[in-house]
Amino acid sequence: MNVVFAVKQYISKMIEDSGPGMKVLLMDKETTGIVSMVYTQSEILQKEVYLFERIDSQNREIMKHLKAICFLRPTKENVDYLIQELRRPKYSIYFIYFSNVISKSDVKSLAEADEQEVVAEVQEFYGDYIAVNPHLFSLNILGCCQGRNWDPVQLSRTTQGLTALLLSLKKCPMIRYQLSSEAAKRLAECVKQVITKEYELFEFRRTEVPPLLLILDRCDDAITPLLNQWTYQAMVHELLGINNNRIDLSRVPGISKDLREVVLSAENDEFYANNMYLNFAEIGSNIKNLMEDFQKKKPKEQQKLESIADMKAFVENYPQFKKMSGTVSKHVTVVGELSRLVSERNLLEVSEVEQELACQNDHSSALQNVKRLLQNPRVTEFDAARLVMLYALHYERHSSNSLPGLMMDLRNKGVSEKYRKLVSAVIEYGGKRVRGSDLFSPKDAVAITKQFLKGLKGVENVYTQHQPFLHETLDHLIKGKLKENLYPYLGPSTLRDRPQDIIVFIIGGATYEEALTVYNLNRTTPGVRIVLGGTTVHNTRRQLLVSLLPEMMPECCSGFWTAQPKQGNLSGYIKVSDLNGATSPLASLQAFSTDQRGVGEEPWVLCLLL
Amino acid sequence: MASLDDPGEVREGFLCPLCLKDLQSFYQLQSHYEEEHSGEDRDVKGQIKSLVQKARKAKNRLLKREGDDRAESGTHGYESFSYGGVDPYMWEPQELGAMRSHLSDFKKHRAARIDHYVVEVNKLIIRLEKLTAFDRTNTESAKIRAIEKSVVPWVNDQDVPFCPDCGNKFSIRNRRHHCRLCGSIMCKKCMELISLPLANKLTSASKDSLSTHTSPSQSPNSVHGSRRGSISSVSSVSSVLDEKDDDRIRCCTHCKDTLLKREQQIDEKEHTPDIVKLYEKLRLCMEKVDQKAPEYIKMAASLNAGETTYSLEHAGDLRVEVQKVYELIDALSKKILTLDVKQDPPPHPNTLRLQRMIRYSATLFVQEKLLGLMSLPTKEQFEELKKKRKQEIERKRILERQAALESQRRLEERRSDLASRATNGEVVPPRRGPAPLRKAEGWLPLSEGQRQSEDPDPLLQQIHNITSFIRQARAAGRTDEVRTLQENLRQLQDEYDQQQTEKAIELSRRQAEEEDLQREQLQALRERERERERDQAASLHMRTRSLDFREIRPFQLEPGREPRTHLAHALDLGSSPAQSGTATKTSPPSLAPEPFRGWSGPPALGQEFLPQSTPTQRSEAPSLNPFDEEEDLASPSAEGTASPPAPEPSLGPPARLLREYNPFEEEEEEEAVAGNPFARPDSPAPNPFDEEDEHPPWTPASPPVPGNPFEEDSDGGREGAEPIEEELLLQQIDNIKAYIFDAKQCGRLDEVEVLTENLRELRRALATQKAGSD
Repeated sequence: MNVVFAVKQYISKMIEDSGPGMKVLLMDKETTGIVSMVYTQSEILQKEVYLFERIDSQNREIMKHLKAICFLRPTKENVDYLIQELRRPKYSIYFIYFSNVISKSDVKSLAEADEQEVVAEVQEFYGDYIAVNPHLFSLNILGCCQGRNWDPVQLSRTTQGLTALLLSLKKCPMIRYQLSSEAAKRLAECVKQVITKEYELFEFRRTEVPPLLLILDRCDDAITPLLNQWTYQAMVHELLGINNNRIDLSRVPGISKDLREVVLSAENDEFYANNMYLNFAEIGSNIKNLMEDFQKKKPKEQQKLESIADMKAFVENYPQFKKMSGTVSKHVTVVGELSRLVSERNLLEVSEVEQELACQNDHSSALQNVKRLLQNPRVTEFDAARLVMLYALHYERHSSNSLPGLMMDLRNKGVSEKYRKLVSAVIEYGGKRVRGSDLFSPKDAVAITKQFLKGLKGVENVYTQHQPFLHETLDHLIKGKLKENLYPYLGPSTLRDRPQDIIVFIIGGATYEEALTVYNLNRTTPGVRIVLGGTTVHNTRRQLLVSLLPEMMPECCSGFWTAQPKQGNLSGYIKVSDLNGATSPLASLQAFSTDQRGVGEEPWVLCLLL
Repeated sequence: MASLDDPGEVREGFLCPLCLKDLQSFYQLQSHYEEEHSGEDRDVKGQIKSLVQKARKAKNRLLKREGDDRAESGTHGYESFSYGGVDPYMWEPQELGAMRSHLSDFKKHRAARIDHYVVEVNKLIIRLEKLTAFDRTNTESAKIRAIEKSVVPWVNDQDVPFCPDCGNKFSIRNRRHHCRLCGSIMCKKCMELISLPLANKLTSASKDSLSTHTSPSQSPNSVHGSRRGSISSVSSVSSVLDEKDDDRIRCCTHCKDTLLKREQQIDEKEHTPDIVKLYEKLRLCMEKVDQKAPEYIKMAASLNAGETTYSLEHAGDLRVEVQKVYELIDALSKKILTLDVKQDPPPHPNTLRLQRMIRYSATLFVQEKLLGLMSLPTKEQFEELKKKRKQEIERKRILERQAALESQRRLEERRSDLASRATNGEVVPPRRGPAPLRKAEGWLPLSEGQRQSEDPDPLLQQIHNITSFIRQARAAGRTDEVRTLQENLRQLQDEYDQQQTEKAIELSRRQAEEEDLQREQLQALRERERERERDQAASLHMRTRSLDFREIRPFQLEPGREPRTHLAHALDLGSSPAQSGTATKTSPPSLAPEPFRGWSGPPALGQEFLPQSTPTQRSEAPSLNPFDEEEDLASPSAEGTASPPAPEPSLGPPARLLREYNPFEEEEEEEAVAGNPFARPDSPAPNPFDEEDEHPPWTPASPPVPGNPFEEDSDGGREGAEPIEEELLLQQIDNIKAYIFDAKQCGRLDEVEVLTENLRELRRALATQKAGSD
């Protein structure tokens, strides 16, 4: 059930099967991202893969001394590119792997194009998703729905991604979905359909308890993505943005050239692996330890190299030292920037109020705090709007709801129109009317008691009080108490035992906070393995970053080592050119949001855009 | 979790966190845990995880510490320590995900298609062959035409009013031309020509590979694009009528296109770019490192632990050798990096990128592997290490032996009681030593061998002790003691003699086994040699090849190592009689001979040992009285436990002293050399490969090591009358030349010097040999 490992195994197998010799990896823009998440450049270099090319790149040179490993999504364009490629082969031999099911007719047309008999392998390897953490995957689809319904293109992509995941983990699951969401039901049906159609593929060794696929919709819990996060990975994503493990630091004041973009990957960065789920305070002290260790090593370098032995020791330790210095400078920079942003934007205070809004039911105190913060000049308009959004979501139907007053405060603060529009958009997306279950006031006695006790004990950490709604859902699911009237099974059969292998998929995207929750559930619940996935991994500002920095456009999955010309569009309707054309960030946002509203897009996307 | 990190004891491996049982693998541990502790606190799961993590990340302790330090500091709802997501190893072993092959389908479709093209191309080639089969220059035009027409039926002129390719109307000026390969008609502009050399190339090449080639797409669209060369011929329209194609064959663009494709394929097949050649060498070197480095690391680890399984010199050589390969990798990758860079026009950016990447990966490789190449101790350090280790082993042994001694002593005490010799627990005088009784008179034979001069064999040790006692007793004029001691000595020597004989038998048996092994090695080597001769042209390549040579060394040295390990074995055997020997010192005379029962045979070696041991004895600071010790041993009631230093004299001394003391070893090693199969039947004693070992350029700094009988032996062999194989010498000279060249290129002048020196020496050797054989 380790998704990173699953994809990695596929890639390793491909490379192994091609035998010794210099190799080129031929990918499309999505598979580039898929591969880059599981393999580092140096790792893959050691396997004799020296070049990484995009199948759609036109200026590839003929290099007959290279073997080509093609890892492609089975799209129409890719098949066409491949046909062209085979007609005039540039490499000596081709090993072709499709990341999903390919049609017989495509195979036939490829075979007919292979006049020079250069193809040595045609296989389906189901690594058709982005493996973020061992238990977290994403499809990097932004804006999967139009209104309440699926964008048909994205629905089919999501279905492909989800079935590929099942195949790569060798799971043929029972499916449950969130009844309140039409999108969840559609997706469940599509997945079921594929399983039925490709029943041969889904014939795996039966386990005692069949695995379970639970499909949820983001609109059920619109709160979680709106909160500021305090664990390392989540925080970096929230404040700086993680895109396929890459972090753009070019906006950090006084950044050195080689730190403009850094890679944070748990696979090969031990400090990150050990700290990604720790909270900010702990990271601070760990960074300090790291620095101290580094300092201890450092004098050695500056010591005078008096004897041969000194020199020898230096030379032998140098690569290690250099590696460490890279790690140190990377994390020090990242954490430094995080803490700068935290203090600059007054995030501690903001977060405290956010948590209060999300977790407590004291309306007057909440309102007071929000109002106070809105007066604070250091709170950015974005954070201010976010507070109001949270307030609006929580106290939507409260008797003394003073949302209009807050909106007024926003306007007085000078928060621009588009931010203010978000408030109504978020209510439309994830308001009470839409939600299938109650986010804020627990109904059953146990939950009430729990909350009461929690109130008595006092809160351990005011910044991390919030537990994503997913936690409760999964907790119930594990205990076999998840209500069937809210989360029905697809098809007649139901699970009698408690589930063991669980795959949760959130339409509209998962968050790192939820990933942490799942991580902890995995760690604390023996015998249960949970993998979380989403159409994307959210942060509230992701799109904002994207629009501010068109050059780091996540062309859904750009790898971090191939410097390929970036092109194409984002999730179908956001054209890069729109963004490139706009000179100031503000103008681009303006253009963006008007465009969005004009088309009447899904409000959640709009919300995320800012 | 912190408790597992106790600084006092670090246990490694897959320990169960609850019962600390050591399990062999993670999965066993997991199943053990599930079976035994599943009901217990679930927090344990985290502990296992941390353990597994520890095992996995043991090498990078530095960073891990942070993770562990944080383990207990949870300040909020989440458990705060983590190891990068859910530990993948916590989940059941994951098999490769599902996959599905379309290859058979693909092949089926392709085969149908390919057949068609193969037939097409073959047809053209066969016709081409027919057209070029006769002497075109000396045949009349009409006759040529007749032959051409016989190869393929020409299309009727009347049937084609327009050129099918360009659509121009045929007329007197725009005449029709027939393709000689397919018979079709086109105009002059659309006509292509095939020169005879090209035709020959195509027909000769296809004979052996007809089955593999294919022909290109013949879609009409592509034809227009590829009509080249025709424009130039427009100007010569007027001369068309008189033209006679002596050395060219007319054909249509379609056929030409097909044939050109074919030609390209042939070219590609034959051409290997430089980068590939260099790259193959590079990979070869990397493989060598992968294979050698672990061997070296094993050696270095063993040496650093003070073990004597491997010789320091040998490990040093291997280290130099591995480093040499690293340098070669570095040089090769540099060469790849700069390949064609200065060419005009500059190579495609992708080519450059490929070169950069190869260089980068080579750098990574060297960095990573070189890092793991631990350093060797210096000679002095090594001696110290050995001593340390020896002491440790001794300590262990002492502890073990104490238990045995004590029980034995108890037994003896009882016996001595029976013999009613003991009075008030007083020391029972041993048979050979009335010394304690005379202690008061001041005669104390001084035992040597307490510290430095311990012998490899406890028996030898004993013999030394006794000889020294005898000498001292003689000096003291105690003839009775001298007599008993001499008797004792004789017995000891008999025993030793017998042991050595057994050892020698065992050794020769092993040698026979090894010889077989080596013979195989030799076979492989000869083959490699042959291969090498083929590759002689490329100097760099030579270099990699010659490295193969070094592989032989371990095998060669094995016979040399063997006696040593053997001795260690013997040492173990020897320790038990010695032990009882020590014990007997305390026992009454009547019982004493018991352990010596097995000793028989003539006292052959006694005389040999005496002179040898004396110098050492002199060098010893007289330190301990063995009889004093015996007293200690004999009075357990006073001390409770026997004093540790007691059995020391009988313990294993450092093996390096072995040669000095043990003439047998010397002999055996020589035997081993003689038995070395590398020595050709015609030149039995000297080993030509050893000879080479003296000269490889990477060991110029290390002089023939006196401690190694092999080196000495081969040295002797070279100086001796037996001729060294000339071929090998030449080979070696060539190699060294290549190295010099390489070193010069890399700017390592010091190396060049050493190498030149080497080369001179080799040449001299060659000259001497030639003179000798003439």
